Formats: sequence, C-alpha cells, structure tokens
Amino acid sequence: MPLDTSTYNLALLRVDGRRWNELRQQGNTKIQCIITGPNERDASKNTSSSASTAPTAGGAGATLAVSIMIAPFATVDRKRRGRNDKRVQEMQTTIACGLAAAVQGQAYGPRSTIHIALNVLSQDGSLLAGLINAASLALVDAGVPMTDYLVACTAGSTSSYAAADEAADPLLDLNTQEEQELPFLTLATLGATDKVVAMVCESRVQLTRLEGMMATAADGCKAARDFLDGVVRDKGELMVQEGAIGRGEVVSSMDLD
Amino acid sequence: MSSTSQHLLLSPAELAYLHGSLSLTTPGPIRPDGRAPAQFRPLTAETGILPGTNGSARICFADGTEAVVGVKAEVEKTPVSPYEFVASTEGRKDHSTSIPQKKKGRKSKKPTEDEETTMDVDDEDDDEEEAGDGSAAVEKVRGSPDWVELSVEIPGLRDDDSGTVFLTSMLTEALLADGEFVKKLWINRRFHWKLYLDIILISPPLSYPLPLLSLTTHLALLATRLPRLKSEADEDPMFDDDWAAATFLYPRQDTSSGKASNKSKQSSAAAAAAAPASRPPITLLVMAVGDNIIFDPSKEELAVADSAVAVSVAEGPSSESEPESDSIPATTTKRNLHLLSVRTIDPPSRLTPPGVPNSVNASAWGTMTAATPTTTTTPASANEGGAAKHPDARVTETEDVVGVWKAPRGGAKFAMLGAMVAKVLERGGVAEEVLDGLEGVDLG
Repeated sequence: MPLDTSTYNLALLRVDGRRWNELRQQGNTKIQCIITGPNERDASKNTSSSASTAPTAGGAGATLAVSIMIAPFATVDRKRRGRNDKRVQEMQTTIACGLAAAVQGQAYGPRSTIHIALNVLSQDGSLLAGLINAASLALVDAGVPMTDYLVACTAGSTSSYAAADEAADPLLDLNTQEEQELPFLTLATLGATDKVVAMVCESRVQLTRLEGMMATAADGCKAARDFLDGVVRDKGELMVQEGAIGRGEVVSSMDLD
Repeated sequence: MSSTSQHLLLSPAELAYLHGSLSLTTPGPIRPDGRAPAQFRPLTAETGILPGTNGSARICFADGTEAVVGVKAEVEKTPVSPYEFVASTEGRKDHSTSIPQKKKGRKSKKPTEDEETTMDVDDEDDDEEEAGDGSAAVEKVRGSPDWVELSVEIPGLRDDDSGTVFLTSMLTEALLADGEFVKKLWINRRFHWKLYLDIILISPPLSYPLPLLSLTTHLALLATRLPRLKSEADEDPMFDDDWAAATFLYPRQDTSSGKASNKSKQSSAAAAAAAPASRPPITLLVMAVGDNIIFDPSKEELAVADSAVAVSVAEGPSSESEPESDSIPATTTKRNLHLLSVRTIDPPSRLTPPGVPNSVNASAWGTMTAATPTTTTTPASANEGGAAKHPDARVTETEDVVGVWKAPRGGAKFAMLGAMVAKVLERGGVAEEVLDGLEGVDLG
C-alpha cells in the first residue's frame, strides 16, 4: 500500500501520529548490544568470524569488532538473513569506523579487541541509527573511554518528485513504512556538535533537499544525545543509591560535566 | 552424541579437586557456587517482549547467559497426498465441500466398495459439521513434523557448527516427540499453521546452553497466541483482527482465557482448549559424578562429569480420576509428567587425555621399554616384570588416586542413567519445580 503523504503537508501528522520533527520515544525497533573485551586479539578467530573491524587511534589503540545479528523474527514477515549479507556487513563497517572516531582506543593496547555484538530483535525503521545509538550507549555503560556519544538519527523528505519541491517537508526518524516510500538518510554526529562522523544515504534524493534533511537529522542527533545522556545519568544515580559506587567521587565527576 | 567442547583453562589438579568435591557422599556434593545438587541457577524471565511476534520470551541466568526466543506463525496450505488412503478421502472431501453439486452427483453414482467406505466417512463428517460441535473433529486433527521449524543462533558459532545442529535437533526432538504439539497447529483439512521458533543466545555461551534455550522456548510457547479463527470447517481461513481475542497455543486451565477459547467453536484451538491443559516440553541437563546426580551443571562442573544426559519431559493432561484431587486445592494439583527423550552428551571431561605416570612417560625421562617385551619371554611375564618394575603403571590404570585427575572412561552406567531419569520425573522433583517456577511468569 503506497504511503499517502498528502496528509503530511496539511495536518503535519504522520502515520504513527507524530509531527514532522518528533522522535519516537518507544519505537518498535528493539536492539540489544553486548560489549565484551577488550580481549587479546585472536588472529585465527578474526578471519573466520564475519565481524567487521576498525582500529582506533590510528592503529595504536584497541580494535573494534562489530557484529550484527538480525533475528529472523525481527521483521513483519519472517526472513532469515545469512551472516554474510552484504547489507549487514556494510552496516557493521559503518558502525565500526564511526565508533573508532569516538573511542579513545589508546587506553588499551594495540593488540586488544573490543567486541560489540548487536542483536536486532525487532525492526521498524531507522535500523542503522538505532544500532549506532545502542552501541554507543553500551560502550558508555561498559566504561570504555569515549570523547562523546556517537549518536545517529534518520531524516527524510516528504515528496520524492521535483515538482513538489516547495511543498516538501523534512521528516525526522522514519519508520519502516516511511523508509520504503520516501528518500531518507542516516546521519551520525559526535555528541551535540555538528561534526558529522558518518552519513549513509541509499535512496535518490534531490540535492536541494539534502541540506534541510541533514540539518533535521543533526537536530535529531542532539535530541538523541540528550536522551542517552539522561539514561546514563539515571543509571549513575541508581548505582549511587544502591551503593555500587562511592557517593563523593561520582557526584564530583558528574558535576564536572 | 555431541561434545560440549569449550576451552576451559583448568589444570589437572583443579579438575581433580572439583571432581573430588562433587563426588563427596557423606555431606553430599559440594558445588563451586554453593548450590544444592538439584538446585537451578537463579534466573529472571519475561515474556511478550516483542510485539511483532506471536510469542516471545527472554530468560537471563544469574551467570549472565541470556537467550531470546521469538515465535512466528504463518498460515500454510496442507499438501494432500493422493497415495495416502486417509488423505485421499479428505482430498475428495475437499472437492465435495467446495462444490456441493459435484458431491451430489457422485452420490448418485453407484459406488464401488472402496468408494462406499469413503462416502460413509463423508456423511459422518457432514453430520458433525451440522451439529457444529468443534470437539467432534478431534480425531481428525492431524499434524506433521514439517509444521515446526526451529533454529538456534549462537554468537561466534557457525550455523552448521555441530554443536548448534545438535542443540537444534535435540530441542526439535523434544517438541515433536509425542506428536501432540503439531496437532495444535491444525486449522482445517486444507490449512495449518507453520510455526517458526527462532532461538537466539544473546550472550557468549558461558555454559552449555541447552537448559537455558529449552526453558526460554518453553516460556515463549506458553506465551504464544494465534489469531482466533472466524471461518468454519474447511473454508479458507479467516481470522479475527482483534489480538485481544487471540487464543493461547497452550491454554491455561484455571484462567479466563482458557474458558474463552472453550466457548469459541473453532476446531483446532478449541479442541486443544477443551482438553486438560498440557505444557510444552522442557529439556534438563543432568550430570553424574561418582554416585551423585547434579542438575543444571555449570561449565566447570561439566568439565569433570562422569556422564551427562539431556532429559526431555512434557506434562500431559493431568489425571483427574484420583479421588484426592477434590480435597487438594487447585494450586497443588499433581502434574502428569512423561518422559519424551533421553540423550547422552559428551562432557568435555571425555576429551581430556588420561594422566600418564612419570615412570612410563618418555617426556618425563621414564622408559617405555617395560611395556614392549624385547626378549623372547611371554607377554604375560613381560607385563608382570613391567608391573614389578613400575608399580605406578598398574595403579594409574586401575585405581583412583586422590588428588590426581583421571578422565572418565566408558559410557554411563545403566543404573545411573535410570536414576537420573527417575530423579527428573519424581514427584516434587526438579522438573516439577522448574515447571512451577515458569508458571509463575506473567504472560503479558
């Protein structure tokens, strides 16, 4: 069923009831991320597994190995993906290279590897953005030193033909149905700054609209960064309350932020 | 047989210590994590985590291993085999129901003896359908093992890794063993549900994941719901859009959902609902060290197991003929457990080579000459001479020495296998305890 974007311009409400610039607080995309390591690099294992790797700090730091597993039940129709799916591999590489820019890998030896295993349990659009945010949050939770959160967001445009150029609106954080119909891009920035770390655009898009989409996505990234930061701070507060960490050291370090 | 081959960095001395403490008889075995022999690792479980599936569950063991299971169902056409007698009658039945005129025409024909019997069956069917009694179709409900597809995904292992394949087949075997499960997927003569069970181990396999995967699958199946059927008999299936009206694959006896599905007069799920509640199978890992039987072994414990067995049990319809059941409250009804399958599993202890005494170990400057007779003496006397020269050699072959690790040899003893299975099935035993525990999980 084609997505009817005519209502988008009038009411500025989308299929799931959001306005054009609203993020989904509880989307149906569900991702789990497990960080293991840093371990000693296993040369024999690296060649056999399908994980994508990227060295941090110009080869002097730890290597990041990212592997994505998309559950067969993640999509509406059950679909089994092979491990060597080219799309998945490309996403792995994008994430590994993107995170390598943010992770302070020199804290670990050059022969160590941090394994990032991402499990996609439910998929409803903005897959790559969700994966990047999940990996970033998990790395912070694991205590891996990073310069800032690597946050990502998707942005799209409401019309796909040139005639409706003036009427086209940018959209933030697309769901599956919108992704299938509309041009969109995924943008990853380093924290709240406008430093673009990665940008992926697989659909045809008018060049005049690209800038607007990127600006929208960067705003979305800011919101995502604030959200992730809030989650980390809540977790920190909880840990202090439970007595997992001493009060003094944590409060001082959090005040510094 | 499969091996749970994992690289465990335990020295022979550590293995011997573990084996020694696990095979203690007087105070019972002492496990490294302080559990009782029949105690499971504490676990957290939740269901209904994935809105896009028919049923899902997640279980997290205290040691950090975690698994997610998603169940998806699709409607599939049942192929009708022209060779099978029963199938052929049903095939004709299909035509007759879809095109009533044809059926009448056939009836007027003079039937052969073979045809006559089929016509009789047809007539009976019609009567039943007219009565609109869903439970009357119970005998016709069939199932095929092809209707279930199960996949296991373990991080770091290939799909065709022998361990993964063995886990898959063991879990599938437990599901299909009694043939009751696939009958639940029957919609009508022409259609059935195809159930896809995808099991994903989220964490790296810290211990042999069989019990974890089995319990998660059990929970996911308990939470699985199929849309309520609106169409009748052999029509193309039509389902109720309302997910709230969907029926559980394993309806619960004492909840309102079970009653609701009883009322609905659809054939398959209602038939299952009308029968006393049964439960999906669980597979438990049991191991033996010496005379001790230990449940849910961790990786370290499995490394010194004399034998390990995977026992699959299922709960059948509970026997209500017993007169005591009236006096006992509903919460303590007896479970009717039955054994589905037993599989032996190669513990890693079988892969470790036995120790060699220094006296015959060439790399420890021992001499190998004693074992190989060089003179013309008979082999027996040569061996005697060898044993006389190196008393260690015989001792290590025959006796256990305290503090020296000796890999188990030979298979599991029959008596021990029997004892292990009995311990799983006994009243108030581990299987019941696990089932009770999982029943407490809220099916969201």
